[in-house]
This record gives sequence, C-alpha cells and structure tokens, in this order.
Amino acid sequence: MQTKEKLEQYLSRCMDSACDFAEIFEQFEENEMISTLDQKVEKAERQIISGLGVRLYRGVQSVYGYTNEMTDEAILPLIDDLRAAIAEKAEDGAEDAAPAEKKPVVLTRVEYETRHPVKTDYRKVPLQEKAELVFRAEKAAKESDERIVKTTGRLLNVREEVQISNSEGRLISDVRVRTRMMLDAYAKEGNIFMSGGDRPGGGMGLEFFEETTPEEIGKEAARSALVKLRAKDCPSGRMPVVIDNAFGGVIFHEACGHALEATGVAKNQSVFAGKKGQQIAAPCVSAMDDGTIPNAWGSQNIDDEGNFQQSRLLIKDGILQSYMIDRLNGRRMGEASTGSGRRENYKYEPTSRMSNTFICAGKDSFESLFEGIEKGLYAKKMGGGSVNPQTGEFNFAVDEGYLIENGKISYPVKGAALIGNGAEILMNIDKVSSNLSRGQGMCGSMSGSIPTDVGQPAIRVSAITVGGTANE
Amino acid sequence: MNKERWIERAKELGIDELEIYEQLTESRSLSWFGGKMDSFTTSRVLGTSLRAIVGGKQAEMALEQADDAQMDEILSSLAEQGRIVSSSDPAALRAPEKTDEVKSRKNFVKPSVEAIREALAAAEQKLLAFDERIVQVTAAEWSEEANVRRITNSLGLRIEEKGMYQIIVAGAAARQGEEIKTDYKVKVVEDLSTFDLDSFVKELAENLLGKLGGRTLPTGQYKIILEKDAMTSLFAVMSSMFSGDMINKGISPVRDKLGQKIFSERITVVDDPKNTDTLDVANYDDEGCPTRKKLIVENGVFTTVLHSTKTAMAAGTESTGNGFKGDYTAPVTVRPKNCMIVPGEKSLEELCEEMGEGLVITDLAGLHAGIDPVTTDFSLQCSGYFVKDGKKAFGVTLVTVAANYLELMKNVVAVGSDLEWSYRSIACPSVLFTGAAISGE
Repeated sequence: MQTKEKLEQYLSRCMDSACDFAEIFEQFEENEMISTLDQKVEKAERQIISGLGVRLYRGVQSVYGYTNEMTDEAILPLIDDLRAAIAEKAEDGAEDAAPAEKKPVVLTRVEYETRHPVKTDYRKVPLQEKAELVFRAEKAAKESDERIVKTTGRLLNVREEVQISNSEGRLISDVRVRTRMMLDAYAKEGNIFMSGGDRPGGGMGLEFFEETTPEEIGKEAARSALVKLRAKDCPSGRMPVVIDNAFGGVIFHEACGHALEATGVAKNQSVFAGKKGQQIAAPCVSAMDDGTIPNAWGSQNIDDEGNFQQSRLLIKDGILQSYMIDRLNGRRMGEASTGSGRRENYKYEPTSRMSNTFICAGKDSFESLFEGIEKGLYAKKMGGGSVNPQTGEFNFAVDEGYLIENGKISYPVKGAALIGNGAEILMNIDKVSSNLSRGQGMCGSMSGSIPTDVGQPAIRVSAITVGGTANE
Repeated sequence: MNKERWIERAKELGIDELEIYEQLTESRSLSWFGGKMDSFTTSRVLGTSLRAIVGGKQAEMALEQADDAQMDEILSSLAEQGRIVSSSDPAALRAPEKTDEVKSRKNFVKPSVEAIREALAAAEQKLLAFDERIVQVTAAEWSEEANVRRITNSLGLRIEEKGMYQIIVAGAAARQGEEIKTDYKVKVVEDLSTFDLDSFVKELAENLLGKLGGRTLPTGQYKIILEKDAMTSLFAVMSSMFSGDMINKGISPVRDKLGQKIFSERITVVDDPKNTDTLDVANYDDEGCPTRKKLIVENGVFTTVLHSTKTAMAAGTESTGNGFKGDYTAPVTVRPKNCMIVPGEKSLEELCEEMGEGLVITDLAGLHAGIDPVTTDFSLQCSGYFVKDGKKAFGVTLVTVAANYLELMKNVVAVGSDLEWSYRSIACPSVLFTGAAISGE
C-alpha cells in the first residue's frame, strides 16, 4: 500500500485537471485453492492480486485507469492520461464546467473497529492440515452410501486488503477474509450417473468449520446426488411453486435485486426505475440487502468506494423503500451512496452491487405453503440464474425439485427451469414462511464477480412457468 | 525480474523445473451514453505466473509483477505446494519444439480517440433515428487490447506470441406499449475508417425490433432450429465434455465413448488454434506445446480427446496442444481453441423452409446454471421466432427449451452454412433438429 503522503501527491495531481472528484483504490489479495479428487490432493494453487485503480469524475462522467506497476514511473503517466481524457470530455456539454479552485488534497485516516473478526488465519495453517478438512468432507460423502462412487472437493481461502483514498480527504482500509468449501459427490446406480453438491462459505477464517463441519458438507452433497438417482422428468407449464429457503433466495436476487441496483436505475434501464414508494411486491414481502451481518460471505466493513457498508431495507410490506446506490450513480440520481459500490478487483471500476440480500421471515408455517396445491413444484435447492434488468425477464435452474400432488411432496424431478418476469413474480408471492436462512454464491455483473449471500424463508408463488423435460 | 536467477534459485530450493509465464496487456475502452462520452478506461498490466515441478508433481502460482525481493518466499511456497500433491498423476514442463508459425489475417489499424468518439456518437444517433420504437441506446462502446505472452522455462523453452483486438459493441432498448425488449451486437473492427456502421446499426435495429410483439407458445414438442449464436453458446458450454481432464476424472458424459458415434453423422467438430480466420491465433498453447488441427468428432464419431501435457501424461498419450489459461491469473486447463462445428450447405432461410413449421431459437439465457454437465440434461429460457410454411410468422418470448444434449445432437436434420467467427474462439452454424420440449403456456 502507498503511504499517505504519496496518495496525497497522486490525488492532488488528479485534481489539477478538469475533474471534480478523484479516488484511488489499492488492493492486495492473497488466495489459495486446494483441489482434491477421491481424498487425494490434485493441486494447491496460490494467487496474489495486487494493483491500483484511479478514478476521476466530472459531473456524471468518469474516467478510470489501472495498473499493477506500483511505481511513480507507471502511476504518474496513468494519472496524466486520465487528466487528459477528462479534459477532452469538457467539449461535450456546458454543464461540465469544472470548479475553478484546486486545493492540494490532505488525507485523514478513518479508523473503526471491524465487524468481522477472524480467529484462524489460513496462512498460519499448513497446507496438509487444510487438505485434511476436504478429505473429511469427501470421506463423509463416500461413507454415507455405497452408490457414491466419486467425490471432488475444493477449499478456497481468501485474504484481501484494500485501501481507498479520495479527494474529499478520506483514507480508509479494510481486510476481508473468506473461507469456502465446495464439494461434489457423484452417485451411480446402473447406467444412471448423477452429481450433487454443497458449497457453503463465510466471511471468516478456518473457524468456519467449527460452525459447519466438513462432515455435514459431505453428507449434504451425497444426499443431493442420491435423490437425483430416482428423479423423473419434470412436467412443464404454469403451476404453483414452493421455493425453499437459503439458496432459494436466488429468485429474489435475480428477479428483483439486480433491477434495484443503481447501475440500471440511474439510466432508466430498470423495470423498477421511478417506483420508490410504490407497491412492487405482494404485501407479505419485505426484503433487505444487509452488508453488515457479522462474518457473512457477502459482508464488508466498507464498500469498494470507502463508504461504510449498510443495512438497507429494500422493500417493506410490498412497498419499494430504497435502491442500492454507488457514488457515481448517486450523482445521476441526486441521492447519496448507500455504501453499495463493489468490484471484483482493481481491474474494475466499481458500481452498485448486492451484498447479503434476502426476503425477510414471514408468518406462514412451512406446511401451509403446500395446502391446496393440486399439482405444483417444490424447489428444494436452486441452481443459479440470470436476469435482464431492463425487461425484468429472468430464469433460473432448479437443482433439486419434487412434484407436489394434492398438497403433498411427491417424487423428485430433474431438469426444471423457472422463467418469468420479475415484476410479475413478486406480486404473485402469496405465502412466506418463517424459516429464513442464507446461501452463498458468486454474483457476476459489470464490475466483475463478487461474493454475495442470497436468502429467504420458504415462499409460495401462485403461478410460474416451469420448463421441464417431460413430454405431455 | 531476473528470470535466469529465479530458475537457478528454484533448483537450489528443491524445485526440479520452473516455468515463468508473463502476459503484458494494454487496453483502452470508451463508452458513450445519452449524447456524451460516459466513461473512458485505460490500463497497463504485466502479470506473471509460475509453474513448478517438484518430485514429478506440479504447483502453480499467479502474481502480478514478480519482484526479485520476493523470490525466496514465492519459490519456497511453490515447493510446499508441489510436495502436498498426493494424486499419482505425473506432471512435466515442455522442452522447446519447432512448429510452422502462422499469423492471424486480421490487420488492425488503431484509431484516434476523436475517431472513436465520432463513431460511437454516430452509432447512437443512427440507432435512435432508425425507428421511433427504439427508445434508448443502452451502450455504445469501443474496446481495444494489445497483449504479449512470453513463456520461459528451465528446459530452455523461450516463446513469445502477440495478440490484438478491436471491437465495437452497441446495445439498444425498444418499446411498444408496455413491452420493452433489448438486444446488443458486437463486431470486430480492423479499420474504423472503412467500417460499415450503417449495416452494423441496421442489423442490430432489425433484430431488436423483431423481438417486439413476441408471445409465448403452448407447451409441447416442436421442431427447432438453434440459430448460430444460440448454437454456439450452448456448444461452448458442452465442449468441456471433450476435455481430457473431465474424461480422466470419469465425469465427462462421453468418458467411455472414444471411437463411438456420439452425434448425428451430419456433425463434424474441428479444433484448430492455427485457423487464421479467427481473432486469436495460437501457434503454441500456454505451456509452449505447438498447436495443431484436430478432428474431435468426425461424422458423428468421437475421434480425439483434447489434452494438456498433464492430462495427456495421465492418459498415457501426447498433448494435443490444448493447455490454455484464461489469462495470467488462471491455471492451465484443457480448453478448445478455435473450435467449430463444420458448416453445411444451407442458409438459415433454407433451413426454415426445410423445417416448415417450428421454432427458431435466437437467444438462450441461464447457460451457467441450467445445464447438468454430467447428464447433459438442460432446460433454458429462450426466445426467437415461430416459422410457419417455411417463413417467419411471429416473435416468441418467455418459453423454455429442454432436452438432453447428447440426444439432441443425434437428431440433426441439417447443418447451416452461416458460421461466423466474429470475436469468438468457438463457433457454430445454425442447426435444424427434429424436436425439443418447449414450455410456455
């Protein structure tokens, strides 16, 4: 990381241009991935990601440059390229008139206490000991049933340090530590070969495995693979769907979360633009994006623009309360940042992104969600999905699903996808149970791939299009 | 970085062989929005990654600029990473080998910032003027990159290859009543001064407007054509089935099918990193192995498994020169490079005539989640248009297509002629199939 004096020098040079705001993002990340196959280490990889990104604003225009050469010889020309680029842009519009007075930037370090303490630093634990954690999960999967014929595992450990400084005089740092195990089990019976997985993680060190044991992870992966051995083709068409908790929250993440990011809202490229204070979901739906949950996978102390992470109430009783806003799009919208500026690494300009996003717990019992459904789908585990925020059209895959017949969970089905329109689906949620929990994922968007939690209690959607493989 | 010193020091620390991979990337991008320059990004990154062989086992590390002061710490870590590998699979680096080098036919001329701004402004104006239903140009962007990769190893390998690209991207939104549709288009631009912007705009605008007024279909079994972009994106996901890594691990759906018929006899798949029609020509893979043209599938029969050095050693065969990295931060994995389904004779229009009645799928969504790579079952959101009496009848939206990929690829009626590489390293023409399950109403 650069010294305070060096950063002041760089930022002052940035501000000696047509820009009205400048920011420097520095990153030093170390990560490690141990990959196993059938309780043998296949490889142990390490990565160091270290670089710096400089951003200049002029009104709502931005210029961004990045490099991994941490010397004046590399950084000063980069800053000068950006100063020239922002000067060129002045021709485009009269409102771009730059402030006349340019004072040197003086930085003051912002100190705070971390919300996400780490107990066991992965860097201090020998590789072999960490490999044993994965072996334990693989062993538990294999021993759970003789039809589990193969297992693969990965253990990811990340430690990321960031330092953000800007022309408003703010200098602030954060250390983010993450741990995740990804286990896949393969089940075979006759000619049928199926895989099942479990991928839990947290914003903490190796103490993660005190809460969630490797054995639990292995057994869950095996259970999921074994269920699929007896899965039949999924029927198609519009029907009621019960989506269970944890990673089931990917429905909200795709169908609604992305469309509430300022990236789309500020440019009027979202179905929810201009809808604040209006009803966008059924009255039983409230939802949060909370980046402050201690040691959660999608948490940070500060966002990647140096603002403290917040707990954001997005929807209350169906009424839209807030968007997720980064600094630049905040300027477009005339609103303050909500601490939602995130990026994968220094190679990306930040934009508004989710953190830990979930539908809040409701009052319905889990059993009552199935009442009165003659034929429907119970999506116990979801795969990933995607959305077009402008049209609201989304899709996602059901990883483990069951048919609902006459109010009861019937046989498992495979190959189902759910599609629909986000705005419509939120209005069609008619029951919300109380078993809220969260699941971990990687979310990809303009500013790269970032860790996020999705979550919800089990919910019922009165009608959704199910794409299945059965010929009827 | 004093490479010779790193190689010497590696030996002293118990590393048998060391490879140093460097990638220098310089990029520039400009985007235009609402009649103004929206953003400008510039970068210069020199990244390094190291591979070590320790007692026949491999260790990898990616870093940024390798500083000689970090040498001992990094090399010691690599030695520890290699020693922990307990898999019995051996690994090795490559000694220098000769190959006849070819060059991409692309001849890029770097434009001035002014010329780029003019082109993006014109693209935005022309799109908005094309039809009043086009209400917003969501993105007009120019992106260019020049890169050099250098591979040096302790066996005397010294390779340097250069690459470059320039692309223009435009996206737009169209509205009709309450309905909003979006589309985008990417094109490789060798020389902006002679680029046919009008055709680019027309193609994007017509595709976009064609999506308006789309409706869903009754659930059922339909004949389908996967149009070239949809066919390519699906094939790109499925192509991992040919990877020696997946096959060695026993998790590829064609793990025991070499020499057998896996697809219709109408399907032939060629992988040729030296195809000079493509954007990214590679004479060597990212391990320094010379590349070559291979038939992966010949008239439906699975003939070649793709290999890197490591997966080939485990399978007791030779590398096919398919050990590639995504970039310097990624490990070497088995990847197809400039891989295509060999085009047939018929245009898309002729395929539609042959189909008579059915669905042409132009877009597939959710490819990262809606496919089971082990069974190849998939169920994906799609859109396109319905064909009646061999002609386009109406747009179709919000339906899903579901099938088993291996089954689908056995039921090919005809392969189209419309293969286009564009910026891709995997490309397919449009293909007509006997049928798939479509879910809608």
